This record gives sequence, C-alpha cells and structure tokens, in this order.
Amino acid sequence: MTFQVILVLFALFAITRTSRQYRKRKVSLYWFLLWTGLWALVIGIALYPTTADAIARFVGVERGADLALYLAVVLLAYLVFRLFVRQEETERSITQVVRQIAVQHPSKPDETH
Amino acid sequence: MKTIALIPAYNEESRIAASVRDARSFVDGVVVVDDCSVDRTGEVARAAGAIVLRHVINRGQGAALQTATEYALDALNADALVHFDADGQMVAREIPMMLEPILSGEADVVLGSRFLGRATNMPFTRRMANRLARLFTLAISGIALTDTHNGFRALSRKAARELTVTLDRMAHASQILDLVKVRRLRYVERPVTITYSEETLAKSPSSFRAFGIVKDILKDKFFTRI
Ligand SMILES: Nc1nc2c(ncn2[C@@H]2O[C@H](COP(=O)(O)OP(=O)(O)O)[C@@H](O)[C@H]2O)c(=O)[nH]1
Ligand SMILES: [Mg+2]
Repeated sequence: MTFQVILVLFALFAITRTSRQYRKRKVSLYWFLLWTGLWALVIGIALYPTTADAIARFVGVERGADLALYLAVVLLAYLVFRLFVRQEETERSITQVVRQIAVQHPSKPDETH
Repeated sequence: MKTIALIPAYNEESRIAASVRDARSFVDGVVVVDDCSVDRTGEVARAAGAIVLRHVINRGQGAALQTATEYALDALNADALVHFDADGQMVAREIPMMLEPILSGEADVVLGSRFLGRATNMPFTRRMANRLARLFTLAISGIALTDTHNGFRALSRKAARELTVTLDRMAHASQILDLVKVRRLRYVERPVTITYSEETLAKSPSSFRAFGIVKDILKDKFFTRI
C-alpha cells in the first residue's frame, strides 16, 4: 500500500515537472507526451495492479509488476542507445568546429619576425 | 610535386623542434597540429619552421591528422602528404623512401612497417599486441599487412582526399586501412625504423590503448553507420 502511494506521488511529481519543462520549451512535444504517457501508465499499474496482472497474463507474463519491469529495461536500453548516438554526433560536431577554427587561424613561421 | 609533412602533436615541446627540423629537410613544408597542448608545443613548432594549426579543444590524433590534411590540400595545394610523428620515434631520413612510390605513381598509399625492417628494440609485449592487431585488421578490414598501426604513411593527393578520417582518437589508423580497401587504393608497405626510448614508452601503456582502439572501431562498425 505504502509503495503504491509513493509511486503515484512520484509519478505525479514527474508529470508536473515535465509539463513545466514543456511550457518553458525545454523539451519537445514528443518527449512531453512520451514521458507523461509513461508515468500515467505507472499510475495506472499502481492503482489497478490486478488489471496490470490481467494484461501481463494476456501477453504471457505471470505478473503485472514483472511486465512493467521488462518494459522498463527495454525502454532504458533504447534511451541509452539514443543518448549514445547523440553523444557521437555531438563529438563530431565539436571536431568540425575545432577544425574550422584551426584552419582559419594558421600561424606561419615567417609571421614571428 | 609539392610534398607536405603532417605532424599531430600533443604536449611534445621537448621533442617537436627536432622532428620539425628533421622533416623539413625532406619535404616542401611541415604542418603541425597542436592539439590543445598544455605546454609550449605550438610556439616551439613554429620557431622550428612549421605552420601550426591549433585545436582549441583536444580532439585526438586522428582528428588532428584530418585537420592537417584538409589544410595541406586546400590551403597549401599539396600533391603528396607524409604522416609523421612529433616524438622523435620516426626517422626523417626515411621520408624520401616513403614518398618514392607516390612520386613515381606506383601507389596511392605507402604504409610504414616495423616488421619489414628492423624495429629498434621493440618490446615483447608490443610485438604480441601487433600480432593480435594484424589478425583483427584482417578480420575487420580484410587487408593483410605486416604492421597495422604504424603512423608513418605517405599519401597521394587523391588518396588523401578519399581517406577522410572521422575516428578522432587512435582508431583512425584502422579506419585509414579500412578506407584503403573500400576505395580500392593502390598501397605498398615499406620498412621503417621506429625507436622505442624510455621516454616514449612511459607515455602510453599500449594494452590500455589497444582496448580504446578496438572499442572505437567496433562502435563505428556497429553503431555509427546506421
Ligand atoms: N593531435 C594529437 N596528437 C596526439 C595525441 N596523442 C598523441 N599524439 C601525437 O601522435 C603521435 C604519436 O603518439 P604516441 O603517443 O607517440 O603514439 P605511438 O607512437 O603510436 O605509440 C605523436 O606525435 C603525439 O604527439 C592527441 O591527443 N592529439
Ligand atoms: Mg610515439
């Protein structure tokens, strides 16, 4: 019971944070919807664990909580992958900028005299 | 034919002057990329007669070579390039021998090899590491060489254009071999002398770096090209 309450409260907290971020245009609509949907799902599972169990059994998993855990792992793996690709792109962009600056300002030996 | 030596350098103030001066007697110009060194590498290189490009953030040896390449081709109009080191491990007298196949039109890429020649006192662990690297390169790039991670190279202008390095750190050496194969460039190996001094060995634990190289290559193969 306590755990469910904590979970719901945390989910509500996460949703209000996200919507504030969205209103400040810090995150895209896509992320706002995805994130909100996710936490709404968490609330749903917390409030109606039996429904979650039913859904879980429908897809062939014993318990709702287990299903939630599996999905969470998959989602996290996906997010890490995205971050990883982004990071790589960022690194390459930095190199491009650094290179531009370098070739625009060569220091030649004769300029020292 | 205008020949330019490219020297990536990171914190090499005590060694770079000799490298630049030695290289200068065998090429028409020397470009040093000072990769955000914390010492006076850039100033020392310029005083020794190099054109110095500075990376305002350290981007690694591969990135530095690519920067030097673009500058040499676009601003200096180079016909042939030589990849050379800042730390005095390579012998500048061998530059003409490396350039010869390019100048005569025999090859587009000349790769230095420590094993065709006499590597001066190469440590046993490096010898073993190189064995593994050869197998790895054969498996990944399908190119059989006696030495896969040798920084001494000569490239024709055409080859330099086609070998765009995007792996910023040490894995660029593997990427170059990959591209040689993919672009079907004509390559030859030439024996070169690499000296291992206490100082250069202290700098870089090779096994550590090998991991980094393998990681970068696999990352590139499996993730970046999607
Ligand atoms: N631009 C740049 N050059 C580097 C970096 N690390 C090493 N180098 C240079 O690359 C060359 C070879 O590096 P070194 O550590 O001696 O590698 P090794 O000789 O292949 O074992 C030297 O000229 C170094 O100064 C780096 O982070 N950036
Ligand atoms: Mg070295």
